[in-house]
Amino acid sequence: MSMADNRPERAKPVAVWRLVLTCWKLNLAGAMEFRMSFLLTAGMMFVNNMIWLAFWGIFFTRFPVVNGWELQDVMLLWAISAGGFGWASMLFGNFTRVATMTAAGELDLYLAQPKPVLIHLLVSRMSLTAIGDFLFGLAIYAWVGDHSWLGAFRFGCGLLISGCLFLFFVLLANTLVFYIGQSEGLAFQVFNSFLALTTYPSDLFRGAARLLLFTVVPAGWISYMPIGLLRETAGFGFLLQALGMTLLLGTISIAAFYYGLRRYTSGNQIMMRS
Amino acid sequence: MRLRIASKLRKYEAVGVITVRHQLAYVTDFILRSLFLLLILYVFIQLWSAAYAGDTEAVIAGFTLQQIVWYLVFTESLTMASPRVAEKVEAEVKQGDIATRLLRPLSYIGYHLAAYLGEAALRFFVHLAVGSLIAWLFVGPPDFGLGLGALALLAPGSFIVAFLLLMTVALCAFWVEETRGLEFVLQKLKFTVGGMLLPLEMMPDWLQSICAWLPFQAVLYVPARMAVSYDAELLRTYLLIQWGWVAALGVVVMLMYRRGVSKLHVNGG
Repeated sequence: MSMADNRPERAKPVAVWRLVLTCWKLNLAGAMEFRMSFLLTAGMMFVNNMIWLAFWGIFFTRFPVVNGWELQDVMLLWAISAGGFGWASMLFGNFTRVATMTAAGELDLYLAQPKPVLIHLLVSRMSLTAIGDFLFGLAIYAWVGDHSWLGAFRFGCGLLISGCLFLFFVLLANTLVFYIGQSEGLAFQVFNSFLALTTYPSDLFRGAARLLLFTVVPAGWISYMPIGLLRETAGFGFLLQALGMTLLLGTISIAAFYYGLRRYTSGNQIMMRS
Repeated sequence: MRLRIASKLRKYEAVGVITVRHQLAYVTDFILRSLFLLLILYVFIQLWSAAYAGDTEAVIAGFTLQQIVWYLVFTESLTMASPRVAEKVEAEVKQGDIATRLLRPLSYIGYHLAAYLGEAALRFFVHLAVGSLIAWLFVGPPDFGLGLGALALLAPGSFIVAFLLLMTVALCAFWVEETRGLEFVLQKLKFTVGGMLLPLEMMPDWLQSICAWLPFQAVLYVPARMAVSYDAELLRTYLLIQWGWVAALGVVVMLMYRRGVSKLHVNGG
């Protein structure tokens, strides 16, 4: 028997879609089981983000324009960043936990099942706090965004790209665990740094720092959106470039995960899905 | 009598020392945390440099760019010094580990305070050293006269008020399942009305008068403001404010603890 025959049969897209939908449905049902806790957790995250906006409100009262940015731009930046992170964590809630799960040997559960490992792993958890982030993003857009069809399209694209960049970059940082061992702390700090950098105007940075923001730590593709995509005068050049970056990062992170998975050694852990 | 008090205090001192030793075992974690501080301070330096339009001589609301940057180093170091005591207490209450703590000849609150102070002091010095590196590089050395001495005088009060605020949230675990959300909000209140991100003088007058009545300023604004702009008369007022809040919050924490622990039921053992 050749090596090729040993490979698991490639899952059909319809079957994968059905698995994803079922996981999302079960995650939501699980969250609804503890409705009060769910509402409190999501609500607190909403309040948390509002407090940050209060800081920016005070800041821009004293300094109305900073490097061409106004309060409305920073509010939309928060809408894009929190909203994008929100939907990615709601639908693919395990992307921040891949390193921890790998180090604990929890991948065994996903490897033992005839399902695509990465997608199954990612959709198996829904972050409750992230629902607050996502709703916050929508609320800020409703408050200060451009409500025309084109404006809604721009915002939708921004949310989509922002969420994908969060997903792929943090996943890539988490795959380090396959190559350098115990790297949960490092992955968490990379995630925190990325998150922080997406919430400050990209035009604060010049020279090498700016170059890094659009390459090695691609937070700039999110933090430039209020200027490069959401302003009425903005063209679609930035959108296309951001899409290209997202595709590139997606390819690299997925390849890094599956290449790293070959180095994974089981912890012989017996687990049950709860 | 004096000997009894001294021997009691020695127990808490030992808790603090053990906590410091325990923390020193996690050097990698420390370094990673410090790297995050470097990044945040770099971002803030860029933000404030843009706000001041790079003018190092300009004075806005009584602060030069150099003072603002060092102010942020002090507030960030104090913030990042704070251990996760609310998380620990919540876990102890939820999992019933509190039962074993209550058996020990130590006050439950006193034990956590001693551990908190030990860890916070160590973290503060490490973060202050790391933060100073980047501030020195961008805006020069901290040339604030007696300010650094005032910081040393106000830092213990800052840690204790921070601890008591966290405890008021943590002890809610006796009544509600989840306290992380409340902790999040408390943290963000310190960031904003506590003056971590910008000094209170930069806020509108109406907000400044509200902040003056809140305990959050005693944690971050008071020590950092005094460090970059020393004023002997104001120092006395600030010390009074801080220790006034220590007394008031101490009473609240003790009342919450007594009521909470009286309704505690722990099964098994």
